[in-house]
Amino acid sequence: MPKSDESPLVLETRGITKRFDHIIANNNISIKLRKGEIIAVLGENGAGKSTLMNILFGLYKPTSGSILIDGLPVSFDSPRDAIAKGLGMVHQHFMLVPTLTVTQNIVLGKEPVRLGHVLYKRARRSVVELSKRYGLTVNPDARLEDLSVGLQQRVEILKALYRNARVLILDEPTAVLTPGEVEELFAVLRNLAADGTSIIIITHKLEEVKALSDRVYILRRGELVGECRTASASAAELANFMVGRDVVLAVERPAPRPKPEPIFSLESLFVHSSRGLPALKGVDLAVGRGEILGIAGVEGNGQKELCEVIAGLITPDSGKILFKGEDVSRWSVRRRMDAGMGYVPQDRRVSGLVLPFSVEENLALGRSDRPPLSRHGFMKFAALRAQALQLMENYDIRTSGPEARVSTLSGGNQQKIILAREFSRNPDFLLISQPTRGLDVGAIEYVYRRILELKERGVAILLISMELEELFALADRIAVLHGGQVVFESPTATTNEAQIGEYMIRGRYERSIS
Amino acid sequence: MSVSAPRRIRMVLKALSLILAVPGVLLYLASYFWGAWLLLCAIALYAADRFLAVGSAVFGSEARKLLSRAIVPVAGIGSALLIGAVIMAITGYNPISSYGALFYGGLVRNWHISVLNATPLIFTGLAIAFAFQGGFFNIGAEGQYYIGVIAATWMGLGSTLPGIIAIPAIFAVAAIAGAALNAIPIILKVKTGAHEVVTTMMFAYVVRTLSPMFIRAHGGDPALTSHPYTTDLISESVWLPMFKDFLPGANYRLHIGVLLAIGAAFLVRFILMKTDLGYKIRAVGHNPVAAMTQGISVARITAASLFISGSLAAIAGATQVLGLDHRMFQDLNAGYGWNGISIALLARNNPIGIIFTSLLWGVLDAGGQYMARTTQTPNAIIEIVKGIILFLMLAEVIYKRAGSVFGRWAGRFKTAARKGAGA
Repeated sequence: MPKSDESPLVLETRGITKRFDHIIANNNISIKLRKGEIIAVLGENGAGKSTLMNILFGLYKPTSGSILIDGLPVSFDSPRDAIAKGLGMVHQHFMLVPTLTVTQNIVLGKEPVRLGHVLYKRARRSVVELSKRYGLTVNPDARLEDLSVGLQQRVEILKALYRNARVLILDEPTAVLTPGEVEELFAVLRNLAADGTSIIIITHKLEEVKALSDRVYILRRGELVGECRTASASAAELANFMVGRDVVLAVERPAPRPKPEPIFSLESLFVHSSRGLPALKGVDLAVGRGEILGIAGVEGNGQKELCEVIAGLITPDSGKILFKGEDVSRWSVRRRMDAGMGYVPQDRRVSGLVLPFSVEENLALGRSDRPPLSRHGFMKFAALRAQALQLMENYDIRTSGPEARVSTLSGGNQQKIILAREFSRNPDFLLISQPTRGLDVGAIEYVYRRILELKERGVAILLISMELEELFALADRIAVLHGGQVVFESPTATTNEAQIGEYMIRGRYERSIS
Repeated sequence: MSVSAPRRIRMVLKALSLILAVPGVLLYLASYFWGAWLLLCAIALYAADRFLAVGSAVFGSEARKLLSRAIVPVAGIGSALLIGAVIMAITGYNPISSYGALFYGGLVRNWHISVLNATPLIFTGLAIAFAFQGGFFNIGAEGQYYIGVIAATWMGLGSTLPGIIAIPAIFAVAAIAGAALNAIPIILKVKTGAHEVVTTMMFAYVVRTLSPMFIRAHGGDPALTSHPYTTDLISESVWLPMFKDFLPGANYRLHIGVLLAIGAAFLVRFILMKTDLGYKIRAVGHNPVAAMTQGISVARITAASLFISGSLAAIAGATQVLGLDHRMFQDLNAGYGWNGISIALLARNNPIGIIFTSLLWGVLDAGGQYMARTTQTPNAIIEIVKGIILFLMLAEVIYKRAGSVFGRWAGRFKTAARKGAGA
């Protein structure tokens, strides 16, 4: 039930901006939280939700802007300060000690002590009282590792309440829970709110926002793009806000070829994730020469596995990956690359670059063992340098020189290094994942132009992106990946962002949304 | 403003520098201390060549960089010695006379022992560093050292071939044995992900336990000798050449193993920095995911890195047998494999740095024994100093933090002073 606007403000941010070297993670964000209110901060991965929460919790210092608690400005140097002011945070990954009991975990760091001796009985008593008061039933003597994930989360909440939290921040609280546990959690949170605790939940799941929150703030690319009462907004409206409706970058997209000759396809591909769960459940896709097929989807719906299986880092359980008519699903990474497949990975710092290496060394990755870069196993540094200078020129990589460490470069220049390396191999097929994440507008425009150039040259491109604008700007066709399956596929011209957004979030499309 | 000097002058400088450096090193290692003058001349000529090559501005910045890189180790060693002195003073020993004996013993009187101590350490340090560059922790170098000793002794016993053929063959077999010892850890690592720290260390104990059997089979008889048992002597034809063969003033035990070790350090540097294999090893060491994504076979690189590492550790053992011991002792108590870890850490896995850290360890060991004999200051104090040096080096991040705080203060002070002066 929505709280009236008369409830006193507990927490407020005014114009919070957080800048990391080249990225603005939060731009001028102002939110308000009233006593006993539940607000949701909604946004895609990378929208800046976690940064905002880390600022609230004292883990980061904002570049500018202020935080007010009970109307008074505060400054947090560490989570300790935030806790002292009545903030409690339940992280996505719990901060608990598995071998200790529930009571020990809850009081850890704030134990009742007399003469250096922990008063376990008194601690246990306060834990029992606390769990009774809020209806958070949990056995105080159970060892944490014996508890289910849902109960562990409950311990985290109790931990915050034990520290007198008046504001509870939950980061993706349902990511690890079963549907039953989600219901229980929601009941608990509603109880807490009725009792006067204010709650912020961070999420990208629309259903949760609808089910739980009074108000919702929507973040996109570090900016606050919307705020509304949950009751007055439809799921479709929220989805549009979240993924963005207007195309910021209008690039001239060459018309798709009438009948592209198919060169790359997946046939009922099944893959399991590193945790052993099914991640791709029978994916069929085909890309033709000179065509860009966009893959839309909320992160965590099989994109990672799709990339890895196409790049050759993992092998499928069943199904085929056909490239130029051959099944490459058992080929090594190297063999695929040599055959003309390229891969621009999503996380350039983790899988794209060797950060301590120089620009020229990074540009040599994957071709260091053959002429001209080496001969009989000996590196030819002059050739390395020449290649680097040429690629830096062709791809507008701005550095102090080919010897500069890539860890010192901006995200845009790092991405250009990867593009230069992959594009200059002259591939026939390219898998590109999240090519513009964390880049500024100038760099994004550049990356788009380069991708379209490749398309013109007849390269088949599979573009995976969480950004709908990007897909609509570049792709000839768009397929939606949801729960490891392609639930929808359509030429870009005959679909729209609302429809794709609906498929992304629900896996289905209904004209009238309740 | 720099004027590029004619090429010919630079070539002469370079050649002269090398011509002076090689005998300088040889003489100094053989306790002909005037070799240091040749070395200093060589360094001066090298510096002159750099100066002509890059001009004064770049030369200045290079020199500063070199100096600033030396500050931390030098300060670390200095502070460790200082702390050691305090401990000596507290426990009732005279730090001045003890350190006098330490350095006289380690650097002058028993310098040859320092060099002998350093020789196997250079090899095992290189072994650890080589694996570490690929992101692997070959903590079982001790076992590979033992297998090198066993292989060299086995080949050397009753060898009738001339040394010029037999010695390289023995080194080759020892290297292969050391590499082979790592085969199972490599397979386990690649196939199951079992960590090499555990598996290589297990093998170290296995080999160590096997060694008495080998000794018993090749002459070791506890009934005949009061010594801890040893094998028979290996054929004299496979002993490494001695320094005194060409420098009569050198100590009779000093063998050319140290030259092989220094050569190995440069070879390792060459492999790591100039070959495709080294490039790939470093790429995997820094970021295996990116390397894999670019089609580098991480399994193959893991194998290459640990094979070469094992070979280097085994060559350390072979050098010790062929050069110094000429037989195998049971319970070598050498710990060269374990100490190689400290050596590599101290040198931050820089192959050339390993030469110097090994010599430092060698000096501290040899000097410490001399100190204990002449001043009755217990040798244990040197172990403490070594520990403190290691600790201070690894705590480098503390200096960096302190340095940046100090820099900020200094900066504030400067701006304040400037403001004051302007006002």
